Amino acid sequence: MATAAQKICCRLTRSSPAAFRFHSLIRSQNHQSKYYGYVQSRKISASSAAYATTKLDMPSLSPTMEQGNIIKWHKKEGDAISPGDVLCEIETDKAVISMDTEEEGILAKIIVPDNTNNVKVGTLIALLVEEGDDWKSVEIPADAEKPAAASPPPSVSPAAASTAMPAAPHGANLAGDGHLIGPSVKKLLQEYNIQASSVSPSGPGGALLKGDVLDYINANKLDKKVQEAPSPAAAPQAASPLPPAAPPVAPSAGENYVDIPLSNMRRVIAKRLTESKMTIPHAYATIDSDVGAIAELRSTLKADGIKVSVNDFIIKASALALQRVPRVNAIWENDALKLSSSVDISIAVATPNGLITPIVFGASYLSVDQIGSTVKELAGKAKEGKLQPHEYQGGSFSISNLGMFGISDFTAVINPPQVAIMAVGTSRSVASMAGSVSKMKVTLSYDSRAISEVEATRFLEEFRHSIEHPQTLLAGTNLDTAAEAFVF
Amino acid sequence: MSTATEITHYVVPFKLHRLEQGPNLQVKCTRDEAMKYYKQMRTIRVMETTASNLYKSKIIRGFCHLYSGQEAVAVGMEAAITLDDSVITAYRAHGWTYTRGVSVKGVLAELTGRHTGCALGKGGSMHMYGKNFYGGNGIVGAQIPLGAGIAFAHKYRDEDSVCVALYGDGAANQGQLFEAFNMAKLWDLPAIFVCENNGFGMGTSAERAAASTTYFSRGDYVPGIWVDGMDVLAVKEATRFAKSYALKNGPIILETATYRYHGHSMSDPGTSYRSRDEVQEVRQTRDPIGKFAELATSSGLLTKEEIKKMDDEIKKEVATAAEQAKTDPELPPEELYTFIYKNPPANTRVRGCDDTIWAATK
Repeated sequence: MATAAQKICCRLTRSSPAAFRFHSLIRSQNHQSKYYGYVQSRKISASSAAYATTKLDMPSLSPTMEQGNIIKWHKKEGDAISPGDVLCEIETDKAVISMDTEEEGILAKIIVPDNTNNVKVGTLIALLVEEGDDWKSVEIPADAEKPAAASPPPSVSPAAASTAMPAAPHGANLAGDGHLIGPSVKKLLQEYNIQASSVSPSGPGGALLKGDVLDYINANKLDKKVQEAPSPAAAPQAASPLPPAAPPVAPSAGENYVDIPLSNMRRVIAKRLTESKMTIPHAYATIDSDVGAIAELRSTLKADGIKVSVNDFIIKASALALQRVPRVNAIWENDALKLSSSVDISIAVATPNGLITPIVFGASYLSVDQIGSTVKELAGKAKEGKLQPHEYQGGSFSISNLGMFGISDFTAVINPPQVAIMAVGTSRSVASMAGSVSKMKVTLSYDSRAISEVEATRFLEEFRHSIEHPQTLLAGTNLDTAAEAFVF
Repeated sequence: MSTATEITHYVVPFKLHRLEQGPNLQVKCTRDEAMKYYKQMRTIRVMETTASNLYKSKIIRGFCHLYSGQEAVAVGMEAAITLDDSVITAYRAHGWTYTRGVSVKGVLAELTGRHTGCALGKGGSMHMYGKNFYGGNGIVGAQIPLGAGIAFAHKYRDEDSVCVALYGDGAANQGQLFEAFNMAKLWDLPAIFVCENNGFGMGTSAERAAASTTYFSRGDYVPGIWVDGMDVLAVKEATRFAKSYALKNGPIILETATYRYHGHSMSDPGTSYRSRDEVQEVRQTRDPIGKFAELATSSGLLTKEEIKKMDDEIKKEVATAAEQAKTDPELPPEELYTFIYKNPPANTRVRGCDDTIWAATK
C-alpha cells in the first residue's frame, strides 16, 4: 500500500514541469478527437468565433493608476499563454510592474505595442484566442478604442534619425535590445538627440551606461540641442491620437511640468533662510493686543487730514519697545552680540521676485506719519526693483505683516545677523465682557541664544502697551519707568 | 466515454500528532464525486480570476483576497461535512462562501457592492456569510475563539455537528489561538481547527515567522494531522476522520499544506518575497485542479471531453454572473442604517456621523 502511494506521489511531484501542463495536454490531444470538430464548427459562424477571443484590457495595477505606459511585451503574437505567465511590463504611476495572466490560450494580437505611453485603464491592449484556434485571423472588435497615445513608428531611417529627429520617444525606457536605460542616460540621449541604438553599450549584459554616451558625445563632438520645455497646456493636446508622421511626440506623464530657473535673488533667499533655520535656535512667543484705541486715533487723525495705517503704528510701537528692551535690538557680529545704537527696522515687502526688506532707519525718532511716508516710498521702490543696496542692507530688527491679507497669525524666519523678527496677523473681533473688541496677534521669533524668554516677554508687553495706549507713541522716546523697574 | 465508475486513490501519507491511528491512505472516489469536486474547484478558480480582472478594471474596489491555489481545501473539506456543520474562516473567504452554497453571482455581486451580493453588497471581500457560514473575518486570528464558541453551541444543543474554524500560517502565531485551543480541549468541543498553510503570512514566509512550522503539532495537547492541501481527496479523507474524531473526543487540528498563487491582496504583486519561477513551478507540479484532472482522466473516471465541457460551462456561468454583478443596482443610501439591531422596536432611529443625522432602521 505504501509503495503504491509513494508511486503516485512521485509521479505527481517529481516529473518535469512540462509534462504537467495538463490543460495544454488535454486540449492538444483533443485536436485528434471529437473535440476538434466541435471547435471547427464553432469557428464557422462569425459570432461564435468572436466568443472564443478573450479581450485583455489595460489593468489598473495600483490603486491610484488612471493610465500607464506599456514598456515591453514579453510574449509575441502567436505565443502560447498559460496561467501565471508574464505578458508585459507596465509602468504605473508608481513603478514598473509585470502584468501576468490567469488565462490560457494564444496571444493572437497585440493592439498596443511596446513603448506606448499614457494608455488609459480599460483600453483594449491585446486579444487572446483558445489554443487550436487560428490566431492569425483574429478580428479586432469594432468597439476597441484606439490607444490613447501611440508612439508613431519612426518615419526616417535609423542613420538619419541620429541627427535629424528627436531620438528615442520621450519616456521610452528601453534600448532596442530590451535593456533598461537609466534616467541620467536617457536625459543625456535626449539632450544630445542621440538614438540609443547608435551608441555601443559596455555595461553588464550589454546595458548602456552614461559613460558610453559621454564617450560617444566626445568622439562625435556633439553639442547639446536646445529643447523647449513642454508647457502644461500643450500636454493634454499632445495626448490625443496623432497621425503616424506627426513630428511632436507625446510627453510621458512624468514630463508634464515646467522648470522654473532659480533667480539669483531666490538663490540668496533660499540660502539665507536655510542657514537661519538650521543654525539659529528659533523660539516663539505670541501676544494678543487690543487695537481698538489705534482705530479710534486713526479716525480722529483722518478727520484732521493725517492718513496713517495700522502698520505705521506697529512699526512705531516696535521701535519704542526695542528701545526699552535693547537685547531684542541686537545683531550678531564676530560671534558676539552687539547692541545696535539705533533702531533700524527692516520691513518685509513682497515683490514678484521674492521678499525684500527695505529699512526704516531710526524708527524710534520718527513720528508715525513720517514712518508712514517712508514705508510708502520704500515699498514703491521695492516693487519697481529700484531699491539701492544701502536701503535694504543692515537693519536691527524685522517686521513681517500679513494682517492685510487676513492671516490671523504666523511665524517668520529670523533674518540673520538680526536676532528677532515679528510676524503680525490681522485684527479680528473677539467677544469680551465689554462687548466686541478688536484684537491683533503678533508672534516674535527670536534667537534663544541671544534673547531669553523673559526678555522676549518684556518686549511683547512693551509692544502691547504702546499699541493699546497709542497716545504714548506720539511722545517719541519717552521711557516707561514702570518697564524699567521690572527686575529679573 | 469514461471507463471507471469508482477509483481508489493513494494519498501522500498523513503526519500525525498525538494520534495512534490516522485517516485512511486509500480514498475512494466515484465518477459523480469527481465531477462535483472538479466543477467546484474550477468554478472557484475562474471566479477568482474574474474577480482579479474586475479589480484591475476598478469595478471591485477596496479589499480583495483571492483563493486561487487553495481550492482543494475548501472543496475537500466541504465534501466531508454537511451544511449542518458550521464553518468560520479568515478574510480569504470567497472559495468557502461558494462551497457553503452561495452562488457565483452572490460572491461577485458582493465584491462589486451590489444588492444581489450575499451580504447585500454591504460586506465585500472579507464579510460574506451563508447558512452555517460565519463569514470571512477581517481581524487576523479572531475567528478561532469565535469558532470555539460555535463548537460550544453545537455541543450545548446536543447537535451532531462540528465547527470548522480556519486560519492561516500567519495567524497561527497569535496568542488567541492557544487560548481557544485550551478552552476547546478543556470542554472537548467538537471543533476542527484548520491551519491553511499557504507558506506566507502576507509577505513573510512561514520559516521566517514561526519557531515551529509543524503547525499540526502546535496544539500540544490537541491532536493534529498534516495533510497535502493540494489533493482534494486527501483533504476530504482527513476531514472525514477529523469530524468523527471531534464528535467523540473534542478538538483536532488539521494543517493543510497549500499555496497561494496571487499576492496576499490586490496591492501585493506577490513576487517580491518569492520568485515567479517558484509560483510557476507550483502551478505546473502541484496545482490542485490540474492534478485532480490528471488523476480523473488517467484513471478513466472522467474523459477529457467532459472536463472541457465543464470548463466551458463554468466559463459561461461565471461570465454571466460577472456581467450581472457589474449591472445590478447598488443598495440605496438609507440601507446604511439597516440591520444594526436584531428586530428593533418600531420607529427606532439610529444616529449618523453626527447628531444632526438620524435615520430609520429595521
